[in-house]
Amino acid sequence: MFSVTFVPVSDDPRRTAARVALVEALVRTGQEDRDAFRTVYHLTSAKLFGICLRICDDRQGAEDVLHDVYLTIWNRAGAYQPGRASPISWLATIARNRAIDWRRRQGRAHRAPVEEADATADGTVPQDDALIADETHARLHDCLEAIELRQRSAIRSAFFGGLTYAELAVAQAVPLGTMKSWVRRGLLALRGCLDGDS
Amino acid sequence: MATPDTTPLPDMTAAELVLGLLDGDERDAALHRLARDPAFAVEVDAWRDWLGALYAAWPGIEAPAAVSARIEASLDTRGGVPAAANDNQRWRRLAAVAGLAACLLLVMTVMLVRRPPPAPVRIPVAAPAPLIAAIAPTARGAPIAAAYDPASGTVRIAGGVDVPAGRTAEVWAIRGEEAPRSLGLLPRAGARLTVPAGARAAMAPDTVLAISIEPAGGSPTGLPTGPVVATGKLSG
Repeated sequence: MFSVTFVPVSDDPRRTAARVALVEALVRTGQEDRDAFRTVYHLTSAKLFGICLRICDDRQGAEDVLHDVYLTIWNRAGAYQPGRASPISWLATIARNRAIDWRRRQGRAHRAPVEEADATADGTVPQDDALIADETHARLHDCLEAIELRQRSAIRSAFFGGLTYAELAVAQAVPLGTMKSWVRRGLLALRGCLDGDS
Repeated sequence: MATPDTTPLPDMTAAELVLGLLDGDERDAALHRLARDPAFAVEVDAWRDWLGALYAAWPGIEAPAAVSARIEASLDTRGGVPAAANDNQRWRRLAAVAGLAACLLLVMTVMLVRRPPPAPVRIPVAAPAPLIAAIAPTARGAPIAAAYDPASGTVRIAGGVDVPAGRTAEVWAIRGEEAPRSLGLLPRAGARLTVPAGARAAMAPDTVLAISIEPAGGSPTGLPTGPVVATGKLSG
C-alpha cells in the first residue's frame, strides 16, 4: 500500500473505466437487474464495509448495517442520477448515514480515539482505489492541509468516525464550545479555500 | 498559526449537517431549514460534493461472504425491505392522517384518473385491477391523481408539486408501519414511474403514497429527509 499522486479522472483511462462500469451497473440495478446489482456489490462492498465497520465499531453491527445498505441500494438505484453525483459517493453516503444511525440507536459512545481517525484516514489514496480519486479530492486534500491541525483533526474525526460535536469534545477532552469553535473556524477556512480554487 | 479569535462563530450549519455533527434539536432545526431555504439547500449540496471526495481516503475492508448471501436471501424473500428503518413513528402517524384524507378525496380521484392531463392513464382491461390515489397537498392546492398498474408495475402520477430551486420531489410508498420505499423522483409535469421490484409488494390498498422535498438527486439516505408536501392512500 502506498500513496499516489492525484490525477484528474479524465487523464486516467483505468479510473474512468471503473467509474463508467459502476454507473452502468447502478443504472441497470435501477431497472431491477440482479446481475448488475451483484456487480455493484462486487465493486463497492469492501469500501462500504470499511465505512460501516469504522463507524459502527462493532463487527456484527457493521454486517447488519451493510445488509440494510445494499437492500436500500436495490430499492433506490432507480433514483440515482448519473450526471449528478459520483456513484461511489452516492453509495458511500448511504452507508455512512446508515452506520451513524445504527450507532446512535445503540446509544453507544465511540470508543475509537480521535487520533485513530487520522491514522486510518491520512488523506492518502490506495493505488487500487480507482473509483473516486479525482480533482475534487485533490483540491479538498490540499485545502484540508492548509488549515490548522486541530481543526483538521476534528473535521476528519467527524467525517470518518461519524462523531457529533458532543462526542468530539469528549474524545479530545475539551469543552463543547471549544470544539464547536475549532470545527466551525476550520470549516470556514476550508470553504474559503475550496471556493477560491473553483 | 493559531490566533486568538474573538469574532463570532461563523454559521456553518450546512457543513455540520452533512458531517453529522448535529444531534437532537439542532439537527431537527437544520433539517427544517433544509426544507424551506433553497440557498441553504444549495450550500448543503456543495458540502456534500466537497466532503464526498474524502471517501477516497477510506480504507476498504473485505466484507464477509455471509453478508452477500444474506442480501440475496432478503431480496428473494422480502422484496428488499430495509429492516433497520421500520421504527419510524413519524411515518406511522402520517399513514393514519393520510387515511382520513383519502376517504374524502376518493371520488375526486376517480374523476381525475379518468381524464388525466396530458396523457391517458393506461388501465388494462384485464385483471389485476389498478389502484388509485388522490395525493393531496398538505398545505393547499388540488390533489394529484395517481394510478398504479400492477400489470406493468408502473405508477402514473398526473402532475407535480412546487419545488424550491435546487431541490427535487420524491415519491414514497408507505405500507402500514414499514419503512417508506422510494418510487423515484417526480418531475414538475408528473411522470410514469416504474416501481422498483422491492417496492411492488407494498403497492396495495391502504398503502400511502407521499411526496417529499429532497436534495437534488433525491434523498441521500434512502428515507425521506425533507418535508412531506402531499399524501394519499391507494385504494382498489
